[in-house]
Amino acid sequence: MEQVGRRKFLMTSLGGVLAVAAGAVLYPLYRYLAPRRNIDSLGKVSFPETEVPAGGAKFFDIGGATGVVVRKANGDLVALSAVCTHLGCIVQWQKERQDFLCPCHAGRYTADGAVVSGPPPKPLGKLPFSVANGTITVG
Amino acid sequence: MLRATRATVILFLILMVPALAPAQEEIVCISCHGTLPGKLGEPVKLWKGSIHAENGIACPSCHGGDPRDMANAMKPERGFLGAPKETDIPAFCGRCHIGVEKDYLQSAHGKALGMGGPTCVTCHGNHLVVRASLDIINEKTCSQCHGFERARIIREAMAQTESHIVAIDAGINRYKGMGIDTEKLEKGLFAVRNRFHTLFHNVNVEMVKNEAVGINADLGKLDSTLAKIAEDLDRRKIIGAGAVGLALLAALILYLLKRSYDREE
Amino acid sequence: MVLFKKIADWLEVRLGLRDLVDRELTGYLLPRNINAWYSLGSILLFIFALQVVTGILLLIYYVPDADRAFRSVTTIMNEVPFGWLIRMCHAVGSNMMVLILLFHMLSVLFMGSYKSPREMNWLSGFILLNLVMAVSLTGYLLPWSQLSFWATTVATNSVGTIPVVGGRLVEFLRGGTLVGPATLGRFFALHVAVIPLTIAALVGLHLFLLERIGVSTPPFGMDDTRNAWRGERFEYEGHPGGIPFFPNYLLQDLTSIAIYLAFFFLVVFFDPYLFFPKDAFLPANPFQTPAHIKPEWYFLANYQTLKIFPSEFVGLAVQGMAMTFLALLPFVDRGKEKHPLKRPLFLACSVGGILLWLGLTIWGHYS
Repeated sequence: MEQVGRRKFLMTSLGGVLAVAAGAVLYPLYRYLAPRRNIDSLGKVSFPETEVPAGGAKFFDIGGATGVVVRKANGDLVALSAVCTHLGCIVQWQKERQDFLCPCHAGRYTADGAVVSGPPPKPLGKLPFSVANGTITVG
Repeated sequence: MLRATRATVILFLILMVPALAPAQEEIVCISCHGTLPGKLGEPVKLWKGSIHAENGIACPSCHGGDPRDMANAMKPERGFLGAPKETDIPAFCGRCHIGVEKDYLQSAHGKALGMGGPTCVTCHGNHLVVRASLDIINEKTCSQCHGFERARIIREAMAQTESHIVAIDAGINRYKGMGIDTEKLEKGLFAVRNRFHTLFHNVNVEMVKNEAVGINADLGKLDSTLAKIAEDLDRRKIIGAGAVGLALLAALILYLLKRSYDREE
Repeated sequence: MVLFKKIADWLEVRLGLRDLVDRELTGYLLPRNINAWYSLGSILLFIFALQVVTGILLLIYYVPDADRAFRSVTTIMNEVPFGWLIRMCHAVGSNMMVLILLFHMLSVLFMGSYKSPREMNWLSGFILLNLVMAVSLTGYLLPWSQLSFWATTVATNSVGTIPVVGGRLVEFLRGGTLVGPATLGRFFALHVAVIPLTIAALVGLHLFLLERIGVSTPPFGMDDTRNAWRGERFEYEGHPGGIPFFPNYLLQDLTSIAIYLAFFFLVVFFDPYLFFPKDAFLPANPFQTPAHIKPEWYFLANYQTLKIFPSEFVGLAVQGMAMTFLALLPFVDRGKEKHPLKRPLFLACSVGGILLWLGLTIWGHYS
């Protein structure tokens, strides 16, 4: 009956292996299916409103890339990604023309980020922002 | 039969891909100049190997004109600019490469424009323009006007950062081939690379050395992103080893179990 | 366990459970000389199940729209937790399915299991091979990468060589003159619903035939290895005194599946990119054909054959004839002998054929 004892041992070990395997399958499955929180990973950046004069722009680091806040001539604020959608250079704010110009291949965008001319395939991405108590918070 | 027919037909056509590729119609500039001999046809051959061609920048992007109307392609009314005079070259290329034009005009090279100084074409060529690298700064090109010594100093000042950039580029490409989303990394590297290469056009060693600090810091950030990806990939390999081991263990147990039953038969 | 027995008794009086177990499991006897090759079919079933499960999981995040497909796959690979794992399992799994299928076919060939009365099993298996190729081809387009787009362009173009109806057929396949969003729509429906259901149905038929006719006897370890079927009337091939399916051969099936899993995980975790050229990670660009498109490894032999013959039609016809011959093999080879070493003509042809296929495949890879 050594066979029976051996069989019992094997069955128990198999049970153990299957339990581990079940866990190894169920855990990734759960993580895969679980609803993800909306990516808040940009992080937030804040600075006083006064740092953005009328017709001017302020560049800052956000989420590992560069962002920009512009105060248009009519006083409205716009927060955009400053990464050119063509190949990734950082766009420059042209005060005289009140638009963005990319120094790499002359991509041009309006103050709202829409493409005017040049190679950029998409407009500059918009960043969420809010203003409270004279402070602008982006992200 | 279905398999053979389908599969073979499928594959047979792979051979015909060049003929079948539904690309845009060839522009008239290429269809004419591509067949001309000697100097008139040479630009097309050269351009085909260029980074401009790779990115869809063709003749009209620089020379203007009408790419679809053979009869009027080179009429000034259609915006045709012809080939620029030597002193007009920087403005010609600078219509797109504005940052570089600005740096160049401020530099000793730019100030010597029209007086024996180099233009964009001197170092980059006009039609076979390739991706910029340190190789453009070489003895043959630079000693056309002066000794190579000063060029060598700048080149050496740039060499380490350049090889860092090249290494990061290789790393990004490797990860791209694994399905990792490298868009942000690629854009980040492009921006830094451009800032760095543009620097050269000032031909000012001190400026290069000063700016290199900021550039290296940015490269460091890219490095740490790459390092994190490497870490994640290593962790996956460990999970993998575990999975393989578990499967082999299961196979062993099942096999022994089978043998224990077979003994009875 | 007392509870177990109570449940078993409850089911027994309603379903005749004991009789069922006796017939299908413990009393289902297999030939004593059965070998591990007979478990390849179960491995295939397991692979298919895994493909369906990973496929459904991918469906949750994949978007079948030409503008968003590529981005959705990038999201699965980079942002969804373990998305990379599900995707790579699915991609590697499809290649594994073809590989194991080829081995399954070879083992059936060499042991002569396709011979009478099992012609229909062979035919249904052959159709399944075609369906697996089709499901792989349609799946290929879904990520909407450069590789997807151009491989599909070439593949659908090929149909155009059929005389008279060729052109119309190509348009029908593509949902338009060129590969585009319309193609994605119909290929998606084919890949996700039509072909998998057809495969399932055919597998059902395949297994039914196996069960109805009985498992074939391997021609090894016996003196008389000839096919004993006389063909006068239906006769189930039983194996009295044989090995019970449960638990003996079930354990063999499970062992084989476990070994397959070890190999599978080895590829998935350590080099899944074997099957991914760099064009697989560039978004489709209808205006830029990549320099070197090669088909998947299982089509390389066909690819190379076409390159050899100056006339495409001849190249096609040659392969068509070869495949027709393979499909009709049970009707061509009516010999009673099943042992491979006692069938010199068969052995010469099959070994020659395999070497030819391997040679063409390797050549196709390097050409």
